[in-house]
Amino acid sequence: MTELNYDDAPFAVRSDLTAAHLATWDRLSSAGTWLTGETRVAISAEVRNVKECSLCAARKDALSPYAVDGDHDSLGDLPENIVEVIHRIVSDPGRLTQKWYRNCLSSGLSEEEYVEIVGVICSTVSVDTFAHAAGLERRELPQARPGEPTRVRPPEASQGSAWVPWIGPDDAQGSEISHFGPNVSNVRRALSLVPDEAIGFLSMVGAQYLNGDQMFDFSTEYRAITHAQIELIAGRISAINQCAY
Amino acid sequence: MGQAHGDGGIPQGDLLVVFAEAVVGNDRAALNAARGALVDALGTDALVDACCIAATFNAIDRVADSTGIPIDEARLEPTLEFRESLGINAFPSRSAQG
Repeated sequence: MTELNYDDAPFAVRSDLTAAHLATWDRLSSAGTWLTGETRVAISAEVRNVKECSLCAARKDALSPYAVDGDHDSLGDLPENIVEVIHRIVSDPGRLTQKWYRNCLSSGLSEEEYVEIVGVICSTVSVDTFAHAAGLERRELPQARPGEPTRVRPPEASQGSAWVPWIGPDDAQGSEISHFGPNVSNVRRALSLVPDEAIGFLSMVGAQYLNGDQMFDFSTEYRAITHAQIELIAGRISAINQCAY
Repeated sequence: MGQAHGDGGIPQGDLLVVFAEAVVGNDRAALNAARGALVDALGTDALVDACCIAATFNAIDRVADSTGIPIDEARLEPTLEFRESLGINAFPSRSAQG
């Protein structure tokens, strides 16, 4: 049984938020589409280890991260090519390039594995950032559950205008349409090569931020801060991260 | 990326900007101070939601940058001018999309 709560917080945390983070932990600990629960939890642990990596620190300070060679300081539980993906995305996401992505694939990762790793990394970053921002201890990582990945690639996925293949605006079918259909933004379809990972991540985001309808309903405030205040924080975070999207 | 100034014309905008910068910074004392100022001004429910937004975008930025998604067609034209004036087009992640 996965556990996560905010009972130790000196303020009330919305129950839907706690439930969403618990669901995220539950998802991370279970076998995914391409990775086992053990690997997924190991990825989360490595995310937390990035701040201890001297290579990442040196690359972050360098004019170009590609000018600094070396080995990552890792926990040793994952192959080096997965460690590279984790450390670069966590420590220096604004300077990733398509060439770097292609090198990750050349190292033996499949496109599907890469996308699932991204989903696990970013889910972990999100829950950990909440705790950090709120002044709380990071939540204990879940125990990995047994089980085998389903290994099903959505047949409608194809190479579009992103680096990774995705379910394009006109290719979503059936129940996928609300998640990846013509009316959703590119960031919502970014992980659609692994639909369960994408939907799980977006569910967490909906509890933290706003769902699609709420985002554009400026007549109602759904949170304790206004739409404008929300977008101010979002914009400042993205500017510091140098995210052009 | 330097610090931002002012409130952007948004109530308590200055506090929210300082809080956002502290969340992704490395100064724990500054974060504690920013959090305290936010609670004093807006209350703890607002703090929780501000933390949620920081948590969301610190992750979504990484999704966008690591998957190489292009800016949505519908947003390209309306944002052309301010992306240029704010220097967003010069971000490495923008050129990496090319």
